[in-house]
Amino acid sequence: MPSPAILTPELVRFVTSHLSIHIAASDGGGQATLVRGLGCRADPAVAGGLRLLAARPQAEPVLRGIAADGRVAVVFSEPETHRTVQLKARDARVLAPDDDDTALLAPYTDTLVTRLACVGTPEPFVRALLACPPDELIVVCATPDEVFGQTPGPLAGERLDAAHPLP
Amino acid sequence: MSPLRGVDTLRSCLEGILPAGLATCAPDGTPNVTYVSQLMYVDPEHVALSFQFFNKTRENILANPHATVLMMDPDTATRYRLSIRYLRTETAGPLFERMKATLAGIASHTGMAGVFRLRGADVYRVLAIEAVPGRSLPPPEARAPLLPALRRSVDALSGCRSLEHLIDTLALCLERHFGIAHQMLLMADALRQRLYIVASRGYASSGAGAEIPYGVGVIGVAARERTPIRIIFPAAEYAYSRAIREQLEGGALADRLEAGIPLPGLPDPSSQLAVPVHAGDRLMAVLYVESDQQYRFNYDMEDALVALCAMLGPCMCALQSEALEDDAAPATPAQPPPDASAPPLRVRYFAQDGSVFLDDAYLIKGVAGSILWTLLQDHQTLGRCEFSKREMRLDSRLRLPEVVDNLDARLILLSRRLADRQADLRIEKAGRGRIRLALTRPVSLIAGGTQAA
Repeated sequence: MPSPAILTPELVRFVTSHLSIHIAASDGGGQATLVRGLGCRADPAVAGGLRLLAARPQAEPVLRGIAADGRVAVVFSEPETHRTVQLKARDARVLAPDDDDTALLAPYTDTLVTRLACVGTPEPFVRALLACPPDELIVVCATPDEVFGQTPGPLAGERLDAAHPLP
Repeated sequence: MSPLRGVDTLRSCLEGILPAGLATCAPDGTPNVTYVSQLMYVDPEHVALSFQFFNKTRENILANPHATVLMMDPDTATRYRLSIRYLRTETAGPLFERMKATLAGIASHTGMAGVFRLRGADVYRVLAIEAVPGRSLPPPEARAPLLPALRRSVDALSGCRSLEHLIDTLALCLERHFGIAHQMLLMADALRQRLYIVASRGYASSGAGAEIPYGVGVIGVAARERTPIRIIFPAAEYAYSRAIREQLEGGALADRLEAGIPLPGLPDPSSQLAVPVHAGDRLMAVLYVESDQQYRFNYDMEDALVALCAMLGPCMCALQSEALEDDAAPATPAQPPPDASAPPLRVRYFAQDGSVFLDDAYLIKGVAGSILWTLLQDHQTLGRCEFSKREMRLDSRLRLPEVVDNLDARLILLSRRLADRQADLRIEKAGRGRIRLALTRPVSLIAGGTQAA
């Protein structure tokens, strides 16, 4: 059952702190696919909701999956610490970005440049990886109802709850 | 993109330089996404993923084998989606060991040493490859092409007429044509399940005679599994010097392993590659190269050295087992007799392990020690300086193994060990199939604790 409480303020702060993001969906035929996310912010219009950015040309198979059943899995990882969390939602939908979404791309990219520099990834590489013309940006809106710790280690995959919202 | 051609052209994405994403699907259709610390090339149709933890991904692929990987080219940032199908998990053997060594490098590189532990190598068939649209960087300046280097090296090796010439030519080719500064060649001793250094370049001392057991470090694992082992990041637990030190500290091998010869090898190599050298199904040797530079040896370099070693093995075998014409410089005139007034060089020999000490300093043990002792005895009692390899092969005092004696290799290591020690005693070539003992001081032979002659 959906549980809006799963997205605690602490967890929202973590997943919106400009982390490395991958968004996955399945095609209804048992094949999951994925795309790199380009930013995440709390949805001001939906309690417990998130708005995830992606580049439409890269996301096509994922968008088809979302259109089919609305289910997504999103993994967020902090490159410097490997702290990783996966959220799942069943109500995902794809929207055009608003101005606040579009405005997120630049600070997101800048932060990832800094974060990935810590692990030796050159800036031009990160900027190429995250490049997206504004007119190609799309937003996946979703209200996560499950959260799993995925920091590498024996506890990876453990379900997290409101009492233990972070990996 | 055709998966057949595709995986071969995308091997740099499979080096573990950047983590890939993996999406799987539960039987009820729920997607799952995770990072994969290691994605490895198996062959043009297969990749392997590291199985480290029991988690949802594991559960999903066992129930539904279809998955998608999103990987990046580490130079250009070009993304590729691979549709893959899970086939099996390997928990031992060459692929598992290759992956385990690679993962050790990745773990160390990403600060996850002690966390990453390979439970299995999950092998997947690649069904389709999709280039994901998006910006990418221009490809890096191409490295020096390897095929011309390989061809020049093969040409050079094919002209060698003695094992020593072959070994020296190999070292020269690696240095000159492949730009490899740190390298060693270790001969396999199948009976004792260990390798001994016969030649090296790039170190303060050749380390000739130093040993490493099968299964230890990059070199030992390559020998045991008969597969190349390549690590592109520092991986302390696989470094030759550390691995061997731990073996000695462990005590189990301390009394049996050659411990008296200083080990060559970079203390903390950033890249390592060990390639087994075969002749038919027999392991002849392991070629080991290393560098202070990360990602110095890529898949193409591994291919080139595997191809070179495929030619090296049969050459080694032929030159060792047949009394071919020696292509060394013509025999030099006999040395002047040693200076009789000089104090004698005390050579002490312990028969139980074949160890030899020169003026109380350790030289060598095992078969090489027995060879030297026998030659010196004949020199002392019969006044002989020259010996043919043919007669040595038949001499039971040498304690040569019956099947594969490696006499040539042992003589090479002995002469190099003596050169390393700058002893007043050398072994040099004396023309076709013959060697000569060259002494600049008289010798005094002492068997165990007793003076023998």
